[in-house]
Amino acid sequence: MSMSTPSKSLKVIGDDTWKNKTEKVNAELFTLTYGAIVSQLCADYDRDFQKVNNQLYSMGYNIGVRLIEDFLARTALPRCENMVKTSEMISKCAFKIFLNMSPQVANWSPEKDTFSLILDENPLSDFVELPMDAMKQLWYSNVLSGVLKGSLEMVQLDCDVWFVSDVLKGDPQTELRIKLNKVLKDEIPIGED
Amino acid sequence: MEKPSATGGNPSSAPKQELTEQQKPQHQLQIFQNSLPKVSQIVYMMLLNEVVPLSVAVEEKRDDFSSKLEEESDEVTQTEEQLQRLHINPPLDSPSHQLCRNLYEADEEKHNRVLDRLRSIGFQIGNKVTQLLVFSNNPNLQFKDMDLLSVMKFICRDVWKQMFNKQVDNLKTNHRGIFYLFDYEYPPIQSFGLDSESSEKELQMVKPFLEVAVGVIKGVLASLGYNSEDVICLASYVDRPEEKPKTSFGKGVSFHVQVTVQ
Repeated sequence: MSMSTPSKSLKVIGDDTWKNKTEKVNAELFTLTYGAIVSQLCADYDRDFQKVNNQLYSMGYNIGVRLIEDFLARTALPRCENMVKTSEMISKCAFKIFLNMSPQVANWSPEKDTFSLILDENPLSDFVELPMDAMKQLWYSNVLSGVLKGSLEMVQLDCDVWFVSDVLKGDPQTELRIKLNKVLKDEIPIGED
Repeated sequence: MEKPSATGGNPSSAPKQELTEQQKPQHQLQIFQNSLPKVSQIVYMMLLNEVVPLSVAVEEKRDDFSSKLEEESDEVTQTEEQLQRLHINPPLDSPSHQLCRNLYEADEEKHNRVLDRLRSIGFQIGNKVTQLLVFSNNPNLQFKDMDLLSVMKFICRDVWKQMFNKQVDNLKTNHRGIFYLFDYEYPPIQSFGLDSESSEKELQMVKPFLEVAVGVIKGVLASLGYNSEDVICLASYVDRPEEKPKTSFGKGVSFHVQVTVQ
């Protein structure tokens, strides 16, 4: 494969892995399964949506720490040297391979350590409509922030991930914000230099 | 979502014989199914399996919640509340494997509450999967005048195929409302690499992962008119038949379904 530009080849890797190396299931099945989970959580926590948000985040974290293994094994991609590269990897490869979508990367901070993912299409919340009381507080797709937090932590990137807007809440777009806190150090075993 | 072209993923290289009248609708169904939006199977399986530790975490927090309810008053200050609302770093639960272990060590009452929660999630999934399949253009599905046996066949063939990309391996019945569904390679637990001499303890720890499917079966039955009070569904392990090739998980699963028809 010719390496024209790095971003191009990431897109090619993502598309290729999705097309040829990924077993697939119906996205609607995925949507309704996630819906069943969220609605059970809302019932369990007596519609205390703050708690539901936290639970979804924590669940996502636990998925993310394992999902990253699959991602690295599937793509065999090297470490990203900066957040710009990381953002492309997430939008063009990770989201493509797992959810068959490519969110746009936008709203970079001047220091290039914080960016947003704009999710135009979101298989988690297709056909979902929130009741009035849930609209104010519930971050329906919060599992995604947890997944990103967990998987980024496993590649030594300590990040904060949170939703800033969601079409389900009546916002014009769904925006997920990722902020790098620090790059965790590689631990060296004691006694080696 | 990017939709693959209508022929995408279709065995277009297949020999171009004339399809029989029976094969034609099947072929069309396949094309239709392939044209639907898709997500990765791995992600789906992880989501489905993560339901187990999730339910344990919820159970533990609800325990905490009810015991703390008396002590807690309005101590949460304004700023703390606002910090919570910002919602950037929510507290994390224990890792999933720890939660699964907690479930194994939990007392019976708590254990049952967690399993109930799993079945309830499965029930909702099963309910909606029927709806999904009703609109799937499948020529084999006739929901009018469907008897219990064809409903069970529907679960074995179409529901399982939709959720797990495979069918149930074997269906047995006494024709009086008792059914056994044998799945020798139940997909969600295939990644739990236990060998054939795995201890009783390990098998017990994997067992909660069967409960979502129990709920799904009850949910599908309920959506087709069989009240969940009239349905008993239990999951247990069975030995895999000799001729099946060895897989990482040594045991097959049997779902025992009993329907009382008034």
